[in-house]
Amino acid sequence: MQFQKEVEILAPREKVWKFIWDVDRFIACVPGCKEAKTLEEGKRYAATLTERVGPFKVEFPTIIEVLEREELTHIKAQATGADNKIGSRMKIDLDVNLRAQDDKTILGFVAGVDILGKLAALGHGIIKRKADQVLDEFAQAVKKKLEGEA
Amino acid sequence: MLRRFRLEEPESVAEVSELLGRFGENAKVYAGGTELLLVMKEGLVQYERLINVKKLGLNQISAENGTLKIGALCTHHELENSALLQQQLPALVKLEQNVANVRVRQAGTIGGNLCFAEPHADPGTLLMALGAKLVADKGASKREILAEDFFVDAYETSLAADEVLTEIRVPTPGANRKCAYLKFGYLERPSVGVAIAFSLTGGGVSDVKIAAGCAGPAPKRVAEAEALLNGKSKDEASRSLAQAGAIAGKASQAISDLHGAQDYKEHIVGVLLKRAFQAAVS
Repeated sequence: MQFQKEVEILAPREKVWKFIWDVDRFIACVPGCKEAKTLEEGKRYAATLTERVGPFKVEFPTIIEVLEREELTHIKAQATGADNKIGSRMKIDLDVNLRAQDDKTILGFVAGVDILGKLAALGHGIIKRKADQVLDEFAQAVKKKLEGEA
Repeated sequence: MLRRFRLEEPESVAEVSELLGRFGENAKVYAGGTELLLVMKEGLVQYERLINVKKLGLNQISAENGTLKIGALCTHHELENSALLQQQLPALVKLEQNVANVRVRQAGTIGGNLCFAEPHADPGTLLMALGAKLVADKGASKREILAEDFFVDAYETSLAADEVLTEIRVPTPGANRKCAYLKFGYLERPSVGVAIAFSLTGGGVSDVKIAAGCAGPAPKRVAEAEALLNGKSKDEASRSLAQAGAIAGKASQAISDLHGAQDYKEHIVGVLLKRAFQAAVS
């Protein structure tokens, strides 16, 4: 499943970049994300992603690895996790791009999300829709947080 | 494999409601089990307690003051074989005859089907077009929920945590009331389902209700498509069906999945709406 989102933030690029690397504040913008911790500064992080569709709940203990980092411009990361309780795995390939535009920053991200295992029984369409909602909420939360601090 | 759980055997709706309130997400109402037990066996959900409601006698079908009252625990088999429904609500009987397969129809209940809110289910769509109300009961108090307000999202309803669906109330269609439900799919569950109901008086179409289901996360009533047909003659309404179908297709919130791509489903909604109108008229 491929997703592409872009959000315009009324804040300078340096501020947005700094925010992304502030794990606690950044993670607070990811719906259903908890227990985030830094394993290796700037390289490896751990978090638990939780989500639900009706009565179906998932909890993915996840490792996030930063694969590429280009100062103020680009981050490439991969997140992998497994919910052994319901026998499902998840992998997210994420590309984050920052672009300055006047006094604003365009934060764009492209996410490739793969869900494997029993959870897939819910249907590709339902999972895709949920993932899309989560990414929208995340983008809006980042915008709100940064602009609220302006 | 099904994990261990405790089976509660309450004797009243009030007791069921109390158990649901007390155990929250650790308990689930168990009716026919045709959906619930499957996902429990798969390990997708786990409940400490199942609350068996099958002994509560909620499987009566009656007509009272212009309303057909259908007990939530009526199985699909009981509905398709009800003499009263065959006479008063043949569209629902036809739908029930084609739900899943004979094993599911023997055990599965209409209430369970509605409460599980699986996106590819038939009854909710027709009940919306029929203007049905669903009774949410706590024992001490109850409320009616319009079918169109019942479905919140995929697998989600507007029932409160301690409410039990006990009855479906459908206004008895008069002689001039026309309705039909059509579905299409190539897997066991439908890809798309469309229902229409309207009054046909002196060649004029009025009080149109259209609902599209299965294509998206939950069935939807499509007021904009209804408005296109309302107040028109039968022939004028027929000519507006292509436009109404296109609107209904978009409103269905179709999502791409194994049952078909989004644009394919939207197209099928339009095709089925046209055919359902013709079927209802004939």
